[in-house]
Amino acid sequence: MNEAQRSLTVLVAALGGEGGGVLADWLVDAATREGLPAQSTSIPGVAQRTGATTYYLEIHPRRRGAGPEPVLSLTPSPGNVDLMVASELLEAGRALQDGYVTPERTTLIASTHRIYATAEKMPATDARFDGSGVLAAARELAARSVLFDMERIARDEGTVINAVLFGALAGSGVLPLSRAAGEAAIRAAGRGAEASLRGFAAGYALAASPQPPAAAAAPAPAPVDPRVAAAFPTATHSILSLGAARLDDYQGPRYTALYLERLRAVLAVDRGPAFELTSEVGRQLALWMAYEDIIRVAELKTRPERFARIRREVRAAAHEPVVVIDYLKPGLEEFAALLPRGLGQRLVGWAERRGRLDAYNVGLHLHTSAATGFLLMRALTWLRPWRAHGWRHADEQRLIGQWLAAILAAAPADSTRALALARTAEAVRGYGETRRRGVAGFHARLAALTAAAEPAPADIRPAAPHAAQ
Amino acid sequence: MERSFRQEVGKLRLGEGAVFHGEGILAVTKALLQSGVAYVGGYQGAPVSHLLDVLNDAREVLDELGVHVETNASEAGAAAMLGASINYPLRGAVAFKSTVGTNVAADALSNLASAGVRGGVLVVLGEDYGEGSSIIQERSHAFAMKSQMWLLDPRPQLAKIVELVGRGFELSEASNTPVLLELRIRACHLHGSFTTRANRAPPISTKRPLTGPDFDFGRICLPPATYVQERHKVEVRWPAAVQFIRAHRLNERFDGDLAEIGIICQGGLYNATLRALELLGLADSCGGTRVPVYCLNVTYPLVPEEVVDFCRDRRAVLIVEEGQPAFLEEAILALLRRHDVHGVRVLGKGGGPGSAVLPLAGEYTGAVMLHGLARFLELAAPAGVDPARIGATLRALTAVKQRAAALLGAPVPTRPPGFCIGCPERPVFAAMKLAERERGRCHVSADIGCHTFATLPPFNLGNTVLGYGLGLASNSAVQPLSGRRSVTVMGDGGFWHNGLNTGVANAVFNRDDGVLVILKNGYSSATGTQELPSSPRHSPHKSAAMSIEGALRGVGVHWIRNVDAYRVARMRRTLDEALSTAEPGLKVIVADGECQLERQRRLRPETARQLAAGQRRVRVRYGVDEDTCTGDRACIRLSACPSLTIKDNPDPLRREPVTTVTDGCVGCGLCGENAHAAILCPSFYRVEIVHNPRWYDRALERLRTGFRRLLS
Repeated sequence: MNEAQRSLTVLVAALGGEGGGVLADWLVDAATREGLPAQSTSIPGVAQRTGATTYYLEIHPRRRGAGPEPVLSLTPSPGNVDLMVASELLEAGRALQDGYVTPERTTLIASTHRIYATAEKMPATDARFDGSGVLAAARELAARSVLFDMERIARDEGTVINAVLFGALAGSGVLPLSRAAGEAAIRAAGRGAEASLRGFAAGYALAASPQPPAAAAAPAPAPVDPRVAAAFPTATHSILSLGAARLDDYQGPRYTALYLERLRAVLAVDRGPAFELTSEVGRQLALWMAYEDIIRVAELKTRPERFARIRREVRAAAHEPVVVIDYLKPGLEEFAALLPRGLGQRLVGWAERRGRLDAYNVGLHLHTSAATGFLLMRALTWLRPWRAHGWRHADEQRLIGQWLAAILAAAPADSTRALALARTAEAVRGYGETRRRGVAGFHARLAALTAAAEPAPADIRPAAPHAAQ
Repeated sequence: MERSFRQEVGKLRLGEGAVFHGEGILAVTKALLQSGVAYVGGYQGAPVSHLLDVLNDAREVLDELGVHVETNASEAGAAAMLGASINYPLRGAVAFKSTVGTNVAADALSNLASAGVRGGVLVVLGEDYGEGSSIIQERSHAFAMKSQMWLLDPRPQLAKIVELVGRGFELSEASNTPVLLELRIRACHLHGSFTTRANRAPPISTKRPLTGPDFDFGRICLPPATYVQERHKVEVRWPAAVQFIRAHRLNERFDGDLAEIGIICQGGLYNATLRALELLGLADSCGGTRVPVYCLNVTYPLVPEEVVDFCRDRRAVLIVEEGQPAFLEEAILALLRRHDVHGVRVLGKGGGPGSAVLPLAGEYTGAVMLHGLARFLELAAPAGVDPARIGATLRALTAVKQRAAALLGAPVPTRPPGFCIGCPERPVFAAMKLAERERGRCHVSADIGCHTFATLPPFNLGNTVLGYGLGLASNSAVQPLSGRRSVTVMGDGGFWHNGLNTGVANAVFNRDDGVLVILKNGYSSATGTQELPSSPRHSPHKSAAMSIEGALRGVGVHWIRNVDAYRVARMRRTLDEALSTAEPGLKVIVADGECQLERQRRLRPETARQLAAGQRRVRVRYGVDEDTCTGDRACIRLSACPSLTIKDNPDPLRREPVTTVTDGCVGCGLCGENAHAAILCPSFYRVEIVHNPRWYDRALERLRTGFRRLLS
């Protein structure tokens, strides 16, 4: 056994379709140009463009022909990774978790943007992985870490993230590869070389002299509504002002007055020093009172800001026309919402008994950006004054009344329970079937919380489990 | 096809003494041509798909040499093709994924091995085992043992792999036996280099065909010839093989100063063994080792003299053998006993208490090897190695995992592969989910292909997977015994591979009453979008589109519906109809939608060309209104499209993240279809962006904007 320099190792964690294979090819090519023995392996088992995958490379620092041929490994070993590259924050977390980032050896280069896994985005409640742990672990466990949003840079430069990663990798100075060799490898690969070179340059610059990330500017606080300022403690001002503004926009100042009146009753029983209950009820109540009926949806969909936002989102150039077609499928409930209370009630009751609530929905592809579609949508918004006379309005106010009564009853004795009751409104959201299930869940939770407070007789049953279906 | 190999084709032409840089499986392809192969076949499957893909792109080179190339209909077809080498001195090679492909090929391989071969035969097996694998975890080793075929497991270095391809043909001819070349996933995808030799035109080829047929009853698999063949295998071919392996030193020995211990490893694990030794301070980066290593580039048959010679004077030997059962370890133990070698302790997967050093099952990754070797050194305790230092080194390398776990706070969510953006299979499963919501769950027999991902969240559709094209056959007892109709899902790849015969014909013959959904995306997509008999477009050397519907009708299926895969509501109605119709017999729904990967591959350059040329083009994508989205994510649970994701709620009053569509959207339309079919919410919209607009586009846009301003 002779003393010999060890191989440099690079582990790339990426998602399928991000060009990790191309990155590995560039690296091997650049190393070959430098006369260094290099080898890469990968495990692209299936052709799909999703899922986590890795590429592993080894480069021997002694030039080819200058000694015996190195034995390069095909798999990474813990504690033996010089350069850990991750194309996304969660994948950096996975590399850390697997022990591939060590303080003695590893330079970690990772993009800080998030692409959520199915498990994170599927549940009805927020199940996103907390990325701050990854950043903390990176700072603590990597010999050096280069962390920035490479996806944004790739987008700005009109290229793919692998070019930015390659630049950052070359710029980090861990590998004995010159900038020229990296650029030559990109040029040799052909297709899209100019865009890739721009991404490479941006990544190189950031890794060679990392800039401290710019602190995100805190959003300017919304102006305090005088009606709120007059009657509520400071701690509640920002949320309640937002709520008041929302309801002004939704149905006008009289409706807002009802909102504030309801909240004054809550404030009167709020014993918390920070007025958490008032704030939480204020937040939920504003959302609930501004329920999304067909009038509201039509209003939101015909705002000029919406068209501007869509243009931004789809990156349409100023001269490029953009057509917006909305997918709407209103049904019996949406129609009944606009009928007078009694009539609407009877119609919905009839449909419910026959299980035909979703039987009469009409699928529309409404061309909202064009004259006729827009006119139809606008016409719906003109029904706003009528809203308060409709069945839906009465029904929502009835539910809100139940909810508030339960909170008001609980608050004097048990503020924790009152807060829990306030949060039951979270379940009431969505449209159609989703909303109906939400309302059922809300009733069940409300009943359970109310029952829990009452002294339980021996024969009491668990609160309304059937309602949770 | 997923990749074009035009560049690689040039590499196949390299002459004497040039340097080849490239992928392992392409190196094998080049080695086949250097070995004077006369015909090549196989069936696609990771990790060996590229072997056939590149040959299909290299027709010109092959025509010059007179080599016949065939994309076989299945692995069984590929193995049967090797029958050409039974009677004729033709070198032939096929490639497929193992063990699944070897399972399918087993019948032909048994017959081939029994008859024996005149021309050298090489079966390239992509050992799909460990990380990145997409199949059941088994070893190919058993196939070699049961049929007495020789198994090469070369050290993963391109020059060594290429050398063994050539030696493999020679070994096959010297022992009249088919030879298997096992390459693990990473070895197939390994990028490295080797010095080439000139291609050899086969003596018998499409240019210089056979002079006439050969008949020899001794090569027919029928008694009494089969009895003779069996004896010939063990009495003549096996000894000849051992003799050849020994004479040509196919296995390698690397000596070291710690002579009281040693390691016997599969060739494929040599590099991993060396790296673990290096990290523990007992080897260098260029192959120098203090622990003697006997590297088995041929793992079957073993060469008893070499094994005995390596083990005789040692106190302890470690067997590094991936996968289970531990065939090598047990064979070596028996062999040492028979040769009266008693002083050596054999460590590896199992045995007596305290002697398990490496795990019985699972891939031997860097971490596994490191722990295993450290444990071996601790148990064997050779003079000159401080066990305390080994332990300390190991801890230093691996301690970071606990710290990372603490800092991360929670385990990182897994991210398995799933359907691509715009995949035509996703809407079919959305429709099935909706149908299920109304009708209740039914048993779904799944199959092999991209669609197997439907078993993952959010669909969780598919109760069993029994093999490629075997979905419908696997349903044949479930259907009559479940008292209601059940559903089978099969891809077009599976249909042509096995499903038409084993599934459809069988179901019609047995008066099955179930429902079969065939996902017709036009390609063998999961393996790299290779052509199938029913592909919409074909390369010139393939027959024009063969029809799935025609084949179904031909075997007597009457109830056939062809439904656009993206029309969720219609698909749901068709499923309802199939599950409830009074009509007896197999009901087949063909879900028609081209593989989006392949579609984009075709469209993207075309679009870029049109845009550059200033032509008018309308781009379609979908979006979600953030102010009407209430964040219940019912849409994601019906789709899980990578481009349908979530972001922070821009509404300061709301906490739940809202749904959003990323720039990756290809405008397949599923979002809108789902919003309608499931009555989700009014947040989805379709956007059409007009690139290179004409004057009338701009005029209309101005009119519309003006009108909207007027009414707002």
